[in-house]
Amino acid sequence: MEQRKLSRREMLRVLMLGSGAAALAACGAAPSAEPTAAPAEPTAGSAAPAATAPAAVSQTGSTVTITYWGSFSGALGEAEQAMVQRFNESQSDVQVEYQFQGSYEETAQKFTAGLQANTIPDVILLSDVWWFGFYVAGAIAELDALAQQAGVDFADYEPVLLNEGKRRDKQFWIPFARSTPLFYYNKDIWAEAGLPDRAPETWAEFSEWAPQLVQRDGDTLTRAAFMHPNGASYIAWLFQGVTWQHGGQYSQPDFTMTMTDPNTLRAAQFYQDTANSLGWAGLSADINKDFIGGVAASMLASTGGLAGITAQAQFPVGVGFLPKETAFGCPTGGAGLAIPSGTPDEKKLAAMTYIAFATNPEQAGIWSRDTGYMPVRISTKQSPEMTAFFEANPNFKTAVDQLPLTRAQDAARVFVRNGDQIIGRGLERIVVNGEAPSAVFAEINDELTSAAEPILQDLKAVEG
Amino acid sequence: MASIPQRAGSVTQRERREWLLFALLLAPNLLLFGVFTYWPLLYNAYLSVVRWDFLRPTKPFVGLANYASVFTDRQFWAIVLNTATFTVCSVGLTLLLGLALALLINQPLRYRNAARAVLFSPVVMSGAVVAVVWSYIFDPRYGLLDQLLGFVGLNSPDWLNDPRWAMLAVIIVYVWKNLGYAVVIYLAGLQGIPRELYDAARVDGAGPWARLRHVTLPGLSPVAFFLSVTSLLATFQSFDIIKVLTDGGPAGATTTLIFHLYELGFVAYNAGEAGVVAVVLFGIMLVLTLIQLRYLERRVSYG
Repeated sequence: MEQRKLSRREMLRVLMLGSGAAALAACGAAPSAEPTAAPAEPTAGSAAPAATAPAAVSQTGSTVTITYWGSFSGALGEAEQAMVQRFNESQSDVQVEYQFQGSYEETAQKFTAGLQANTIPDVILLSDVWWFGFYVAGAIAELDALAQQAGVDFADYEPVLLNEGKRRDKQFWIPFARSTPLFYYNKDIWAEAGLPDRAPETWAEFSEWAPQLVQRDGDTLTRAAFMHPNGASYIAWLFQGVTWQHGGQYSQPDFTMTMTDPNTLRAAQFYQDTANSLGWAGLSADINKDFIGGVAASMLASTGGLAGITAQAQFPVGVGFLPKETAFGCPTGGAGLAIPSGTPDEKKLAAMTYIAFATNPEQAGIWSRDTGYMPVRISTKQSPEMTAFFEANPNFKTAVDQLPLTRAQDAARVFVRNGDQIIGRGLERIVVNGEAPSAVFAEINDELTSAAEPILQDLKAVEG
Repeated sequence: MASIPQRAGSVTQRERREWLLFALLLAPNLLLFGVFTYWPLLYNAYLSVVRWDFLRPTKPFVGLANYASVFTDRQFWAIVLNTATFTVCSVGLTLLLGLALALLINQPLRYRNAARAVLFSPVVMSGAVVAVVWSYIFDPRYGLLDQLLGFVGLNSPDWLNDPRWAMLAVIIVYVWKNLGYAVVIYLAGLQGIPRELYDAARVDGAGPWARLRHVTLPGLSPVAFFLSVTSLLATFQSFDIIKVLTDGGPAGATTTLIFHLYELGFVAYNAGEAGVVAVVLFGIMLVLTLIQLRYLERRVSYG
């Protein structure tokens, strides 16, 4: 009779295969434990997310506890904690628990995973490029009836910002931490170069100034006149404005991609030139750090970083409107609040109560002054606190003044799943690798077109 | 183990009991492997032939379309090349430098234990922390490395933002972090080589080089084999340092297959194409492991 026994060698082999497979399985897990702060916000010096301050809870039987997933850490995280605490102390019906989830991308990742696992928050912060995908998937709730119940007056919200979160006249996404890009400059370096104390009017003007702003050590640029962020830090958001300034666009409203439009290419060529033939700009993973450290004399960055950057910089910070080329162009950006469809009804109203609080005229003003994000309420801008604040901090007023000139972004970046990163990676190749814009953007055009297909199908199913 | 022929009845019973015990002892492991390894593996293979974005209720079957789209992506082959460069250089350097350092600190030097502790300490640090620290060291304007290069009159490259240097930077950090592990394993191997072999070699008139070549290296071959397998598998999976140090950039210069899988799956939400990359990775690791087992192991002397 034959006996089948595993020899030691065979056993080893089985184990080895097992460990190889285990290795692979480990690859499948989302290794997103590192807190990478949302790059549109100041990351330099930002510490780990502040722990949730346990607010004093008067535990009556009727208190509804809701969970809020957000993306703010560092200075922004502290401002957000303070907002939640003010809410929790202002009433005893609803208790909000703020849970930091990582960057905008990581928050969306966790929400996606949460939908599968059926562990979802009751309020969620979604960025400009993420809310739409969840809307199409039916994962976020229509808010009009809830808003009415909670006594929210949509008429007092900035229409530019409010309308972005509307589909077929229904509100799905309420503006909260909304921003625009600004031109930031280091006033000390400006003065040293003998330049007027303002942002450049046009890119042509800046191209004349730039050589006076750079410092070199041999071939190395030790101080760049201007710094581009990388794809992960949303270069495609900042380039959106620059594209419009050149008369181009990413796509038409019907999702027809226009990356190879001559003016879009002209803008891409300009970006390449800044780093190559003109040689006064660089591309970096953390432009806020470079700007604060004096390694970059200027940059385009979110208004949402204004408070943090001003506090951390050892020099006076100047800001201005985006430079023009043939036209002015500036996108809105940032994040808004949504309520998942799967949230139980009794919690939905509680969630809306928090959103109503966080965007009421008074709180919107505090949030805006704490961070630099736009006041989302019309009446906030005229409040005496805001007027006094603008007088003391004219930089913050610049951001608000630019708001009426902004427009909603092209579908290719905000509605196409991953469109932002697809364009961002293409721009990295153009700026860093020096690849021909026409070739890269032709490829990107195809990639965006095929990425848009499923979205268009879903959109048709949802909206008809 | 040769089986000793016995009377049929008792053999069957004993055998059955043996098998039962065998199964009982194996069950917890098999269950864990099944749930967390083999099932995900099969499910991943299934995902690679459907289109899914982690959100839709349905997963339509698309055949090999995901494979076609992954393999025709012009960046894909650059990513494969990146992975090969990263793996070969990291594993090669770790094994070679680890051997050199192990031989060095195996000498009866003073402060030998301190040197071992210093060498091993990066191994226990978190990859994310290591990457953050090194991102300052690599800074071309104020970084430590820039200052060191300055002493010899060189300018620091813009390590992390220049596609020509970024991969080297990642390899340097990776090898620095993992070198200590290789050294410790080599040291254990060195302790295990019998002294008599060296004495015999000396008697035969072998010089230091000949002793290294004919005694030390063959004696170390089992641990070198073990290290090559484990570090190859670990390197293929390394993610944390790349994510924090370069985020796969600039312009994809440090995007490896694992990083690509992450981007496709958890940034682009394309479960199908991410599944394809996982299948490719599995295939590569399987083949490499089989080669190592069948070919390398034969040449290893277990003494």
